[in-house]
Amino acid sequence: MFSDLVFGAVGNFQTGDFLFYIVSFVILMLIIKHYAWGPVTKMMSDRAEKIANDLDSAEDSRKKANALATERQSQLDNSRQEASEIVNRAKDNGKKQHDDIVTGAQDEATTLKQNAIKDIEQERQEALSGVQSDVAELSIEIASKIIQKELNENDQKDLINSYIEGLVK
Amino acid sequence: MDGEAFVVKLYGLPFNITNIASGLVAFIIVAIVVIALSRQLSMKPTGKQNVLEWLIDFTNGIVKSAMPGEEGKKFNLLAFTLFLFIFVSNQLGLFLQIGFGDKTLIKSPTSSPLTTLTFAFLVILLSHFMGVIQLGFKGYLKNSYLSPVAMFIPINLIEEFTNLLTLALRLYGNIYAGEVLLTLIGGAVSMGPVMTVVALPVEMIWQGFSLFIGSIQAYVFVTLSMVYIGGKVQKE
Repeated sequence: MFSDLVFGAVGNFQTGDFLFYIVSFVILMLIIKHYAWGPVTKMMSDRAEKIANDLDSAEDSRKKANALATERQSQLDNSRQEASEIVNRAKDNGKKQHDDIVTGAQDEATTLKQNAIKDIEQERQEALSGVQSDVAELSIEIASKIIQKELNENDQKDLINSYIEGLVK
Repeated sequence: MDGEAFVVKLYGLPFNITNIASGLVAFIIVAIVVIALSRQLSMKPTGKQNVLEWLIDFTNGIVKSAMPGEEGKKFNLLAFTLFLFIFVSNQLGLFLQIGFGDKTLIKSPTSSPLTTLTFAFLVILLSHFMGVIQLGFKGYLKNSYLSPVAMFIPINLIEEFTNLLTLALRLYGNIYAGEVLLTLIGGAVSMGPVMTVVALPVEMIWQGFSLFIGSIQAYVFVTLSMVYIGGKVQKE
């Protein structure tokens, strides 16, 4: 009915073509599905999945890198602080040692000086007392020879000591 | 192209050899192009793979705009094949018209109403079939004929036939008219040297325009097919 209505001017309705087109269209669809559609759509979905995975892992890596950077920064700060502590401690130590050495040297110098003074004093005393006795004996001999008068040796010594003390003073 | 067609009777069925040969050429071109484009697929698409993926995305987009849901996915391959075949068929007659004497052997398959009617029939049949599968027989009847209200039955019934005819005849009319005009302009060449000079640029312009029409019609055919199928498989 439709063929008469619609295609009357065109020609006869060739029913065989109808079958041919349907069958060959289905075959074409199967060929495309087997050779192109299947592989390509699979590839496209694989790619979509891969891109999603890559994005996720990139996000993870970024987070990890950030955490690592923060950690490193804090470690750097720590070590800087530590370094300045070490330097300060070393400076303190050095100062203390310096003070110790200076004090020690001063003490030693003082002791040495005092010892030297003491030694000098002692030697002077010894020398003086030696000279005293020598002078006393010499004076006695000289006096006994000059005045030929026997004096008690002790009286004489007292007499001379009083002279010498007068000399020292 | 205005020549007679070869008609052969086989098992009592008349076969139009012109139509079959033209269709076969279009099928072979589509198959070769698609198979050639899909060689050496790789994760990073290059050259021809990009072309194929763009085509697939394009037809998937057509399906998606008609059927946004999950049920549209199974029509992706149909839309792709339909689009490629109709596109190639529309353009075939523009550069390839072979005839013997007064008979034509190769022309655009879609310039025959039979071809376009076959595809329209295929699509409409599929839409009813998928409608029953998707919604059940009762749901299909209610969705297709009783919506929005039962009063619409006559309009809905008529619409089923008009859908089929408009889908087929729109494509056929566009391509057939284009080829008729091409032949007429081509015929003017034999009228003399002056007409040849005039006809050549006109023919080239009309070929370009037919190329455009062929592409648009392929797109329209696939889009409407998907809209009809979508109307049957989705509740409105």
